[in-house]
Amino acid sequence: METKLLTEFYHLEEFKGLEGYKKNGGYAELAKALKMQPQQIIDEVKASGLRGRGGAGFPTGTKWSFLPKNNEPRYLLCNADEGEPGTFKDRLMMERAPHQLIEGMIISAFAIGSKKSYIYVRGEYHYPISVLRQAVKEAYDAGFLGKNILGSGFDHDMDVYSGAGAYICGEETGMISSLEGLKGQPKLKPPFPAVQGYLRKPTIVNNVETLAAVKYIIRDGAQAYRKHGTEKSPGTKLFSLSGNVMKPGNYEVPLGYPLIDLINKEGGGMKAGRKLKAVIPGGSSAPVLTAAEVEKANLDYECLGGMGTMLGSGAVIVIDDSQCMVDMLGVLTHFYHHESCGQCTPCREGTGWLNKILHSILEGKGRLQDIELLEKVADNMKGKTICALSDAAALPVLSFVSKFREEFEFYVREGRSKVKGTTYAEMHH
Amino acid sequence: MPKCTINGKEVEVKAGSTIIEAMYQEKESIAHYCYHPGLSVAGVCRLCMVEIEGNPRVQIACNTVVTEGMKVNNTSAKVKDAVKWGLDFHLINHPLDCPICDQAGECGLQDQYMEFGKYDPEMAERKQKKHKVVDLGPTVVLDSERCILCSRCVRFTDEVSKTHELGLFNRGDRTEIGTVEGKQLDNKYSLNTVDICPVGALTSKDFRFRQRVWYLKDAETICPGCSTGCSTKVYFNKEGMFRVKPVYNESVNGHWMCDEGRATYKFINREHRLLKAKKGKSGQWSEVAPGAAAKELSGILKGTNADSLGLVLTAQYSVEEYEAIVSTFVNTFKSKKVFFWVNNKESFESFDGLLLRGDKNPNTKGLLKILDKYGLTATWGDLKSGIEKGELKTLVVAGPENQAVFPDLGEKITELSKVPKLIWLQAGKNEQLEALTGDVTLIPLKTYVEKDGTFVNHQGLEQKFKRVTTVVSEALTLDQAAQLMSGQEIKITTADTFIESNRRPDEVMLEHRKKNEFVFKRGTL
Repeated sequence: METKLLTEFYHLEEFKGLEGYKKNGGYAELAKALKMQPQQIIDEVKASGLRGRGGAGFPTGTKWSFLPKNNEPRYLLCNADEGEPGTFKDRLMMERAPHQLIEGMIISAFAIGSKKSYIYVRGEYHYPISVLRQAVKEAYDAGFLGKNILGSGFDHDMDVYSGAGAYICGEETGMISSLEGLKGQPKLKPPFPAVQGYLRKPTIVNNVETLAAVKYIIRDGAQAYRKHGTEKSPGTKLFSLSGNVMKPGNYEVPLGYPLIDLINKEGGGMKAGRKLKAVIPGGSSAPVLTAAEVEKANLDYECLGGMGTMLGSGAVIVIDDSQCMVDMLGVLTHFYHHESCGQCTPCREGTGWLNKILHSILEGKGRLQDIELLEKVADNMKGKTICALSDAAALPVLSFVSKFREEFEFYVREGRSKVKGTTYAEMHH
Repeated sequence: MPKCTINGKEVEVKAGSTIIEAMYQEKESIAHYCYHPGLSVAGVCRLCMVEIEGNPRVQIACNTVVTEGMKVNNTSAKVKDAVKWGLDFHLINHPLDCPICDQAGECGLQDQYMEFGKYDPEMAERKQKKHKVVDLGPTVVLDSERCILCSRCVRFTDEVSKTHELGLFNRGDRTEIGTVEGKQLDNKYSLNTVDICPVGALTSKDFRFRQRVWYLKDAETICPGCSTGCSTKVYFNKEGMFRVKPVYNESVNGHWMCDEGRATYKFINREHRLLKAKKGKSGQWSEVAPGAAAKELSGILKGTNADSLGLVLTAQYSVEEYEAIVSTFVNTFKSKKVFFWVNNKESFESFDGLLLRGDKNPNTKGLLKILDKYGLTATWGDLKSGIEKGELKTLVVAGPENQAVFPDLGEKITELSKVPKLIWLQAGKNEQLEALTGDVTLIPLKTYVEKDGTFVNHQGLEQKFKRVTTVVSEALTLDQAAQLMSGQEIKITTADTFIESNRRPDEVMLEHRKKNEFVFKRGTL
C-alpha cells in the first residue's frame, strides 16, 4: 500500500501554486519552526532518523551536526541534479510541489543558520526549473523568503541554479565546483563540505526529497515520523519504478516495503507471458538482483545493503526475460564512460576500458578472457578514486557478470545474444 | 610532532604532514605522478597508495595527514597490486612511442613500469586518439596522447606563475590539456611545466629532438642570469651544453627557475666563444695564446703610470676573481681607478615577485664587497671625464659573460674604446670589439661552468659553485689573467678539455627543425 506523506496532495493541480499549497497546510510548519530553537530542529531531525534520499543514505541530522559551531557564513545547497539513470522522483516533486521543497529548505536553513541557499537543478529539467523559479518568486512576494521572515528576524535568500548537463555534478563536491563556476569535478576530501564547501565555506548539500521530508518531521514530530519504515530506515520514500512493468511511475511507500509488492501491487506486475528476470533496485549504479533475490528483498537500506546492493536513489528498474543482460550492461558502461569527469586515472581510463571490452564482446569480437578481464578491471576501479562514480561504474559490471555469466559466455562464444538470438547490429538497427 | 610507523620504522614528523611528506622525509620510495611538493594536492593519479593499519581500503598518501601512532606501509602485496593496476590504467591509452619521445630515459612512466610493471599488456582494444602535436606557445609543445592528465602544469600556471593559461578540457578519457581561449602558454616561467611533466607530453621547443637524455651528463651549479642565483643543473656532453634545469633550494629558488635563466647555457658553447687572444692595431689582427697575451701585458701595465690606468668590472665574475684582479690593480699597479659597469640602471632594482630580478648579474653584492674592502669609490662619471680629458690612457675591461643582458654593450664599447690602449677580457665573441681599429687586446675568459667560485646573491647569501667541465681550455679565468698580468708565473693546463669542437652548429639544427614545421602547425587545439 502506498503511504502518502509527501505526495498526499500531488494529484491537486493547485498544490503547485502558493495559494493552493497554503490551503493544504503549506508554510504552517515554517511558522512553527521559526518559533523553535535551531538546535531543537536539528535534534528533531536527528531523532527522526531521516537518511539522505539522494543515494548514499547518510543520516541527515548527523550531517548537519558536522558544521562548525561558530558564526561563519554557511550555505545550504539542494541537490536537484537528478541524473542517476532510472530516477525521476525529484522531478515530480519539483513539478508538483515546488513550495514543499522551498518550505523544507527554509526550515533546514534556519536550523543550520544559513542565510543563503541554492537549488542546483539538472540542466535538462527546463520545466521544473521554470516552476521552481516561479515558486521562489511567489515565496519572496509572500514574505517567506528575504529579510525578517514572518517577523522572526531570520533572513534567507534562495536561488535556482541550472546545471549544464553532467551526471558528475550530482556528486556533492562536483556540484559545488560547478556552482562555483569551475569545471564540474569532485573535490578531494578531506576537507568535507560541512567544513569547507561552496566558496570554501561550510556547506550542507541535501537531496530534494530529504529537504521536503524535514517539513513533515516538524509537522508530526520525530516519533510519528518513525512510525513509518523500519528501525534503521525510518520514514517513507518515493520510488521511481521503471522498466518492464505494467504501471511504471513514482510511488511513495514506507521504507522496508517488499520489493516484489512494489512491482506486483503498485507496478501492476509483468506483461502477460513475461517473467521477472532481474531488478536494479537503486538506480543504475546499484548491483543487480536476480528474480530469486527480489522475492526476499525489502526496500530499506539495511536489507538491500545486506544483499550486496543498495537502496540508492530509489530507482527500481525491472528487467524481464526478454532482455539481454550483455546488451543492457553495454548501455550502462557507455553511460559511465561518457560521464566520467576524467580526473582520477582509474575511473577515467577504466570506464573507457570497460566500455571498449564490452562493445567488442557485443560486436562479436570478444575473447573468453575478456569476461574475466571485465571483472578484474572493475574490481580495481572500486574504492580507488575521489568520488563514487568509479564504484558506480564498476559495481553493475561485477554484478551483471557474476550473476548472468552464462549470458556473457554465450555471447562471446556465439557472437550473438543468448536471449534475443540476434547480433548487436540486428538488435539495434 | 606525531610519531608514526612507516614500513616498520618508527619516525617523528612535523605536525600536519601528509604521509607522502613523511615518506619523502624517510627517503622511502613511493610511486606518484600528480603530487609535487611545490604545488597543491590534486590526488588524481591514485598511485601513491598506502595501507594504513585499521583501514580496510588502501588510501592515497598525498592527502592523508599523519596522526599519532599511525602505522603505514607501502610494501604489502595489497599496495603493490593497487599500484600495478594504477600504473596499468595510466598505460592503456599511453602511446608506445618511447623510441621517439624526448622524455625517454627520465620518464616517470618508464621508471614505474620497471619497478611495478613488466607484464604483457591486457588491453586488446584500440587506444584513445588525441591531438598529437599542439603548439601551446613560444616555448612548449604538447602531445596530448602522452599526457597522463596529472594536472601539474595546470596547477603550476594557476598557483605559481599565476598566469592561468592552461586548463583541462573535455571529460573522461577524452580529456586534454589546452590553453584557454585567446591565450598562449607564454610566461616567464613556462618551461617549468616541462620539468614537472612526469611524461613526455610537454616538451621544450629549445631542447626537443636535440639529444637523448642518456647521452647527457649533468652537474649542479648556480644560475648567473640574475642576482637571485638559483641553484641549477646544466646538462652537457661532448657536443656542448644543452639545457639548464632548476635544482630544489629552499632558501633561494624553491623548485623553480625562470625561462631566461634556462638560456644561460647558450653562451658557453664554443661557437659563441672567443677561442684565442687577439691583438689588434689599426684594424690588423693577430692571434696569440691567451696566456701569452696576458703575460706580455704584464710588462706594459707595470710600466704604465698608475693615474692613466683604469679597470672596468662587470658584476659577472666570482668573488675570488674580483679579489685577485682588484688586489693586483691596487697593490701591484697602484691604481685606484676601478669602475663598476652597471648594465641596466633603470630596471636594476625591479623584481617580479617570484624569482626574476632586474639586476641581471649573479654577483653584484660580491663585487661591491670587494670594492668596499679596498676603499674604491671611483664613479662612472670619473671614468667618463678621465677618458674625455685624456687622463686615462690604458683600460682593462672585464666584459660581460652573458652579453644578452647588457643592452648597453655597444654603447659602452664605443665609449671605452676612445682610450689609446684597450684590454678587453671576455668569454664570448663580439663583432663590434673585433671591428675596433685602435690598440686593442682581446683575451678569452672562462665561463661560470668552467671554474670554481662564489657568487653572492641579492640576499647576501654566499653560494659556492664547482667547475662542471671545460669548453675552451686555453681561456683564462679572471684571477689567472690577473696573476699573469702582474708578472707571476702560473701553469695553465689544457688537459681537462672535454667538449669537442665538432658539434653540429645551431644553424643545422634549425634547418632540421624547419623541415618539421608542418608538424607544429597541424592539430592545434
